[in-house]
Amino acid sequence: MREILDKIVDAASQRFGAEYAEIRAQELRRTSVTLKEGRVEAAKQGIEKGAALRVLVKGAWGFASVGSFDAEVLTEAVSDACKMASVTAPKLKKRIKLTRTKVIEDAVILKPKKDPSEIAVEEKISLALNVNDVAFASDRRVKSCTVNYLDLTGKTHFVNSDGTSITQDELYMWLGVGVTAKEKGVFTHSREAVGSTLGYEVFDVETPQKVGEMVAKRAVGQLEAKPPKGGTFPVILGPNVIGTLVHEAFGHLAEADLTLSGSIISDKLRKKVASSVVTLYDDGTVNGAFGSFRYDDEGVPAQKTLLVKDGVIVGLMHNRETAHQFDAEPTGNARAEDFRVEPIIRMRNTYIQPRDYSFDELAEDVKFGYYLKSFRGGQANLDGTFQVGIQEACEIVDGEVGETMRDVSISGNTLETLLKVDAVGKEFELWPGVCGKGQSAFVSSGGAHTRVKEVLVGGSA
Amino acid sequence: MVALEEQDMLSLAEKAVKLALRRGADEAEAFVNRSSTNSVTIEIGQISKTARIIDRGLGLRAIVKKAIGFSYTNVLEDAAIEETVNRALSFAKASKPDEDWNGLPTEKTFASVKGTYDRRIADLHSEDLVKIASLMLDAAENTDKHAFPIEGGAGTGCLSEAIANSRGVAATDEGTVIECSLATIGREGGEVTPECVEFNFEREYCIDPEWVGHEAARLAASALRAKRIETGMMTVIFTQFALQQLLYYTLMRAVSADYVQRNQSALKDRVGEKIGSDCVTVYDDGLLEGGIRTGKFDGEGVPQQNTVLIEKGVLRGFVYDNYTARKEGKESTGNGSRAGYLSTPGVDTTNFHVLNGRRSADQLVSGLDNGLLVYSVQGAHTSNPVSCDFSVVATPAWLVKGGEVSHAVRAVMLAGNIFEILKNVTEIADNSRKVGQLVAPWVAVENVKVIGK
Repeated sequence: MREILDKIVDAASQRFGAEYAEIRAQELRRTSVTLKEGRVEAAKQGIEKGAALRVLVKGAWGFASVGSFDAEVLTEAVSDACKMASVTAPKLKKRIKLTRTKVIEDAVILKPKKDPSEIAVEEKISLALNVNDVAFASDRRVKSCTVNYLDLTGKTHFVNSDGTSITQDELYMWLGVGVTAKEKGVFTHSREAVGSTLGYEVFDVETPQKVGEMVAKRAVGQLEAKPPKGGTFPVILGPNVIGTLVHEAFGHLAEADLTLSGSIISDKLRKKVASSVVTLYDDGTVNGAFGSFRYDDEGVPAQKTLLVKDGVIVGLMHNRETAHQFDAEPTGNARAEDFRVEPIIRMRNTYIQPRDYSFDELAEDVKFGYYLKSFRGGQANLDGTFQVGIQEACEIVDGEVGETMRDVSISGNTLETLLKVDAVGKEFELWPGVCGKGQSAFVSSGGAHTRVKEVLVGGSA
Repeated sequence: MVALEEQDMLSLAEKAVKLALRRGADEAEAFVNRSSTNSVTIEIGQISKTARIIDRGLGLRAIVKKAIGFSYTNVLEDAAIEETVNRALSFAKASKPDEDWNGLPTEKTFASVKGTYDRRIADLHSEDLVKIASLMLDAAENTDKHAFPIEGGAGTGCLSEAIANSRGVAATDEGTVIECSLATIGREGGEVTPECVEFNFEREYCIDPEWVGHEAARLAASALRAKRIETGMMTVIFTQFALQQLLYYTLMRAVSADYVQRNQSALKDRVGEKIGSDCVTVYDDGLLEGGIRTGKFDGEGVPQQNTVLIEKGVLRGFVYDNYTARKEGKESTGNGSRAGYLSTPGVDTTNFHVLNGRRSADQLVSGLDNGLLVYSVQGAHTSNPVSCDFSVVATPAWLVKGGEVSHAVRAVMLAGNIFEILKNVTEIADNSRKVGQLVAPWVAVENVKVIGK
């Protein structure tokens, strides 16, 4: 494999005029099971292989993807990519350049305790069935349950014209569960996911019992919940809500490509944008976390990147192109979903650094507000407007957690909101998710319970 | 790579089906597709990237004693296909029988479709796409000095597919798409607007990149100087972007037979009931001329059709794939959708067509004394998928006063329930356009909860 890849990269530089070339060849195997109310919709397994070729010609990018490792097919594709790039080059206002990085030769071999590719599909089906059975057994008001199991394994070979050559094992485990409950015409929905880059052993900790119960209890608990008042209130955000907020509302703006596009933080580097208790990281090195990996898809080692220190923006997430523009070091954030697409700047595990408050201390100063425990999803815009939908929330009255609320969502402006953070708790949690930015990326986000003096709470009608 | 003709794809599919039957499958179905896309990308205001992606593969469903196994491969050689067949069979055997499984669909005659393939698109080169993107960028830059293009691009796709099953289905189809899009932001002083996006997405070569560029920039410039407004109940005009986002996560799911049968739809047992105002009529039209989801057949080889969902506010029916239809002793409505060879079919809407009303979009605005014009919403994917309650940010959005657009608004949330929205529709304009799988005009809705200051 290595020889073919080297040859293609050489051809790009020597025959087709590329100043930079890389090839990423992947072989991927996905096994998945979808269960609806205990019915196996289909047990699936597929194998794909293909190569992504990326070249820089006269400062413009060319990219080609083909489902083949055949030398002739790859040569034709790389020649195409170079030709296409030279068509764009004359239109460039500013040539693209890459920052230099260390040349790396490495082979990353994963040795999971329980390798999912060695586990029979029957066992995966029975794991999913277990989750389903636990959910239905926990309450008669549970009406539907969807379980999605996925394991993704494979190998990625990366070679570039700087001399870097990396072979890396891929391993991702995912279990997504969605439950609906119904009573007296009220419908509720709850979802949860397990995601890991360790092996199948993750289900020894995140057991079907634990996951099934948690999702079902939440759906049922929502049945008697009441809608919140709309308006501005103090809130305590659970680790997975503040994690989502940090990911959506700050993280995306600090992806250097979006910062350059004019995101609200583009003129705020090295300035104070958040209260002094806010320290934020995007970290690709958390062992086993869903957003962790050794090398990114430009061959740069993943690292722990400090974004905000005590309220001041100190870093952005870079690929080699933006690192050059900012005269910064690349941070290992260039990720591609698979060989069909090119690497772009993506987050990994994004979180707020814990401080020293207990939950009771966070709650005791709140006269009336909300405890937002678990998120349904979130979205943000370049102007810093964010929205986070909440699937589990309670009132806080005189420092005590009270009644359950339904279908809450919060919105605001990132910078205004981060300035209003006045205390951060001490228990650290990370929650897995799948982030969309044209392509999907496996990530996680979290941190510790965080109190915000005020945020706009949008209740249902 | 060697081009794969449709007939070759069909032969591959038929071969895989035969092999599966020989190896012991009770039934089998093979789906082969090929997509070839060309694109140029605008990043940080300049055209910086061109790409060509060729993807093709085969997905096989094998049924053994009512249990379903599925496998796919993107290596279309004999050995790999044989392995794929074997894997699908062994997965079917490892799986559990589904008593509601009533067989694969049988062969049917397809209706003819129009406007889904254009030779001119297949013939476009990177140079042509660079030209399209440049026209769009220049138009944006010449529109307003406060509007900045940030990302977008232009692209084409040629798609072909073949399907064969053990009950006689054997069919091929091909199509083309072309698109150009531009996202801009407005910047002035310290103010930054939300992203304002405009695009064309067509099956035939009829895009207008200059209009796209101009509109994207005009929107961004007019989203500047946004002000906050008070909380209250208001009439809201939703444009197609906002409607698409709101309906996709709610109503489009609620009319899916899979959601209905699984107690996940608030519309269950309500066919024949009035669920919307008189002016609301919605079809799922798989045959719409030039529709983004238009095709001769669905992901199971079932003819696509035009299905009435809501007629003058009355719920008329749901969309079905083969499995959900047979469970109720019905015929599939041709809504077995598939995300290429990697996926098994599932129920999805095709072109979700909200029929036009009689008044123009301008008349909707000029008839509004105090209300909001909402171009896009943020956070619709966090709607409650079962109850269809939503709570979203309206951005960009403008306040309409005395029949005229007054100013942009910021930090405004809309909260409600999609079925309340359907009932409160007061007027539907006549400016139908395609956004994603939605085909709709602007829609005015009264009594929407607007949360501001």
